Amino acid sequence: MAALPKRIIKETERLVSDPVPGITAIPSEENLRYFEVTIDGPNSSPYANGVFHLELYLPDDYPMCAPKVRFLTKIYHPNIDKLGRICLDVLKDNWSPALQIRTILLSIQALLGAPNPDDPLANDVAEDWKKDEKKAIEVAKEWTEKYASKKEYSEN
Amino acid sequence: MSKIPRNFKLLEELEKGEKGLGAESISYGLTNQDDITMTNWNGTIIGPPHSNHENRIYSLNIICDEIYPDKPPKVRFISKINLPCVDNQGNVMVEEFDTLKNWKRSYTMETVLLELRKSMASASNKKLQQPEEGSTY
Repeated sequence: MAALPKRIIKETERLVSDPVPGITAIPSEENLRYFEVTIDGPNSSPYANGVFHLELYLPDDYPMCAPKVRFLTKIYHPNIDKLGRICLDVLKDNWSPALQIRTILLSIQALLGAPNPDDPLANDVAEDWKKDEKKAIEVAKEWTEKYASKKEYSEN
Repeated sequence: MSKIPRNFKLLEELEKGEKGLGAESISYGLTNQDDITMTNWNGTIIGPPHSNHENRIYSLNIICDEIYPDKPPKVRFISKINLPCVDNQGNVMVEEFDTLKNWKRSYTMETVLLELRKSMASASNKKLQQPEEGSTY
């Protein structure tokens, strides 16, 4: 495998030595551009007490292009689709090489705290959200309990 | 080039398939839209012109298991077809089909479908008698 760019090595070292509270990112032994990620649901959100598993990959062009990130844990959220794909500006048009893995993961955690049904990826969820926000939040809580509790993931 | 992990490669393939960015003579997509493992796929091949496949649409099932793309996908015709690399259950036989036999990690489901279509149009195969249109295995 080609040598890993210094920037990626530095970012990885810092993720380990100075981790972000509520977020873990561990590079795979086989592929140092591929990370196993967990994000804790923000306290004041329907995702509180949930631990969400994600995968992250740094393409060859990184940092000229954004990391690729996907949820592996099922989640009921208007900006995350059934395959775990995330609709977030900084992962697309608003990516800048000044951003980092940690800032991206923080943005995703913030997205959990602030669902945006007006810029939806999962259209059916976004519609539910707009029609009856209270009910949608209940469903999001149920899914969190069902799919994102620590116990549930290790059993699968 | 770094090694793109399975899931992200499949996400790229999915996006290309969803947006119709690839070749027009074939298509592919997930069998179940909420299959987070992205294992089961449907493919279609539009029969090449000037062959006994002209104006036919062939359906296929493609399985990308956990070792894809290090190993080739499992490919099976749902529509009946008479082609030397396809057995009598519709399975594309790895040993008889060069794209699967000499699989490269850079290949995609699109590669497989296009190469199958090429095989259907080849001089030795294009005049093979075909099963009744619309019949399935």
